[in-house]
This record gives sequence, C-alpha cells and structure tokens, in this order.
Amino acid sequence: MTKMTDSSESEFDLVEPPPAPKKTTQGRLYVLISIGLVLGLLLGWVLVRLSQGRPLFGPPEFHGLVIQSPPPLSNFSLTATNGEEMSLLDFRGKLVVLYFGYTFCPDVCPATMVELKRMMEELGRDAQDVQVIMISVDPERDTPEKLGAYVTQFNPSFIGMTGTEDDLLGVTTQLGIFYQKHEGTPATGYLIDHTATVSVLDEDGRLRLVFPFGTTGEDMAADLRHLLP
Amino acid sequence: MNPLGNLTAKPEAPKLQRKVRLSFPVILFSVLGLLTLGLFAFVTIRPIQVLPRITLGPGYFLTDANGEAVTNEDFRGSLVLYNFTYLNCQAPCPETTGVMQEVQARLDEIDTAGIPVRLVTISFDPARDTPAALQTAAATLHADPEVWTFLTGAPERLKWLIGGGFSVFYEERQPGEFRFDPAFMLVDGAGILRAEYRTAAPDVDRILRDMRLVTEEVRNRQGVANYAYDAAHLFLCYPR
Repeated sequence: MTKMTDSSESEFDLVEPPPAPKKTTQGRLYVLISIGLVLGLLLGWVLVRLSQGRPLFGPPEFHGLVIQSPPPLSNFSLTATNGEEMSLLDFRGKLVVLYFGYTFCPDVCPATMVELKRMMEELGRDAQDVQVIMISVDPERDTPEKLGAYVTQFNPSFIGMTGTEDDLLGVTTQLGIFYQKHEGTPATGYLIDHTATVSVLDEDGRLRLVFPFGTTGEDMAADLRHLLP
Repeated sequence: MNPLGNLTAKPEAPKLQRKVRLSFPVILFSVLGLLTLGLFAFVTIRPIQVLPRITLGPGYFLTDANGEAVTNEDFRGSLVLYNFTYLNCQAPCPETTGVMQEVQARLDEIDTAGIPVRLVTISFDPARDTPAALQTAAATLHADPEVWTFLTGAPERLKWLIGGGFSVFYEERQPGEFRFDPAFMLVDGAGILRAEYRTAAPDVDRILRDMRLVTEEVRNRQGVANYAYDAAHLFLCYPR
C-alpha cells in the first residue's frame, strides 16, 4: 500500500508538474489572443459605424424608400441644357439625382429644387460625386436655354434635360413616374401633373432610393452619404 | 437549498469541469457553432417566408371606365394584381378573366390586415375598348367597382407601360386582333413589383397565398421582427 502510493506519488511528481504550467500558459495565450481579436473587431466595427454616422445596430436608416437589389436602368439619352445629347452612361461613377418637373411649374418643382440645392450645400465636398438632373416633362415650352437658366439659378452644377414624349416615357415609366398635360387657367396656360418624387441612381445606374415630396435637403444628403463610395 | 443536494452536487461539479473544460475558446466556438446552426435552420426551415422585392413597378397615367384619370399613385397603399387583355379577345382571355373573377370572389378568404387589395385590368386596344365598352364588360363580369378597375389609354403610353414597364409582349396582328403573352403582376403598396405570373392560368391559391405573405409582412414588421424580415429577404426565404 505505502509503496504503491509512494510510487504513484513519485510518478505524479515526475509527470504532472512539468506539463501543467505549459498547458495553462498556452491556454492563457489562446484566451488573450481570442479576447484581443474579439475586442479589436468590436472596437473597429464601432469606430467604422460611428465614423459613418450610422446607428450602432441594424442597417443604416434611410429617409427615402430603399429599392432592394435593383436592376440597372435601361440607358436613355435626352437633350441636355448645353444643347448636346447626353445619356445616363455619361454619368457613370457619380450618384445621379433625377427630378421630373417643368419650369412653368407653379409650386411643387421650385420647392423641391430648393431642397436639392440645400442637399448639395449639406454634402459639401461630397457634392462633386453627385449630379442633379432635372428632366423637363414639358418639352414644348422648355427649350434647353430656358431650362438651363432655370436649373442653374438653384445650383450652377445642376443640369436640365428633355426630349420627345417617346424619350420621356422611356425614362419615367421605369422610374415609376407618370406625367400628363391638362388645361390650366388662361393666366398659367396648360399645366402638367407629374409624380413629385426624387429618384437616386447609384454610380452603376441602378435606382437605389426614392424620396417622397417634402423630404428635406438635410435628410436627402444624409441618405446620399450612405451611397457614396 | 437542500443541504444533501448541495453535498451531492458539489463533488459532481469538478468532475464535469475535468471532462469538458469551459475555457474561453470552447465557449467561443460553441456560440459560433450554435449561431451557424441557427442560421442554417432559419434558411432551410424558413419560419418567415417573404416575396422577393423584384423591382419598382412602372408609372402610368391612364383612363378608367368612367373616363376618369387613374395613375399608379392612386394605388399607393394598396396591393394590386394587374392583368393585360383586350375585350374582343377569343383565345386565352376567358381563362385570364376567369382568374381575375376567382380572385375577386375569394378575396375574403385571406386576412389582409386592413390593406386594400385591388384588381386592375388594362386593355391594350384603346381604339375599340372605349370607357363605355369597358363599363359594359365590367358589368357582365360582375366586377365590384370598389375592387376591380378597368383601364386603357393612348397606344404609345400603353406600349411603354405594358411592354416597357412590365415586360409583357403584345402586338396588333390585324386591326382588332392582338397576339400577346398572358401575364399577371402583383405590385405592393409601396409600388414595388412582388410577383409575376406569366401564364394564362396561374394557380389562384398561389396568388392568394402571395397576397397574404405581402400583407403579413406589412403587419408584422415591427421592432425585432424587422430584422427577422430583413434576414428573410437577405437569405431569399421565398415560398416554394
């Protein structure tokens, strides 16, 4: 009995002590490395989220309607205010903000154009990656010169575009927008009913956001920041 | 609580610790494993099913059977099932119209959570399908004017809407005789296309189930369920 216990004790003395400290130091190293990794990842994630102005949890909150997995829009060309034919492909690499209206528009269009101007001011340096285009749904009265003078009074970088009814329907239909001429008063001439939303296309020409009428320039700028590269 | 229980429990605890060392990596990997398993179960069992958000539905300005203007914005907030036809049609139209009639008759079978469901039939033959003709057709089909709307408009606008917007083929072969691909389109209250049925005789049960899924999503999207629904969209948890 005593011998056995002695031998077993001696065995323990010989075998156990040396590996035990090894295991604990290794274990401690693993623990430290994994804690460090997890903490580092968490910290990095929090910093990235905060620097982007996003909430800590969940996807970024948009003010506009987000279009999920959007297909690229079919290309369109219209006459721009510089007199040239310009197509959607000319704006690849920029966020394109499209608004449909007309210069005779009495109420909705100037209000939205002012918000778009505010949006550009709010964006600051990021505004160079954003192109605002107002497409006139009144090609009869809105000549390129008139349209150009109208849009640049809001912001010199704004472009106006217009085209034939066929060209315009090709753009508006796929953006969920309608327009229709109807009689106004003798003072105003005819008026045009049109959807008052603002459409945002990303740098690949995909429709990503739709702002309802009344979205402020600040809210639009905040949403565009999430889409900027 | 029980001193005996404490005595019996105490010797067991170290035994367990010896068998499975609850070290940090073990906890980390088991949590990760459980998360992966949970995700896998979510994707395969699909407790939440959603309809894909295919694309933005097209915009249009058309005229109804009363001669009044109707635009896509008039249906904002409602779930709309569209189909495309012409009144003098012989071949696939009785079938497609029958589908619309059956959907109208069975709408009360589904709980739409207060979201109005509308049916819209668009005629691509405006020369013959005048508002008056549409009115007679609606009456013979027993269309409920609160639910089922008949629309038509200028030929160019119809072509852009049906051909360009919904990608549905139609062509006038001879005056008053069209060839077309029968199709039904489901557009939600935000104007987003949620389902396409490109056949003359889609399963009405399926259409009703899809309507139920869309309205259920609108009703249930609150708080944490929002994330669950977003996950369902992300992992394509579509009904089979």
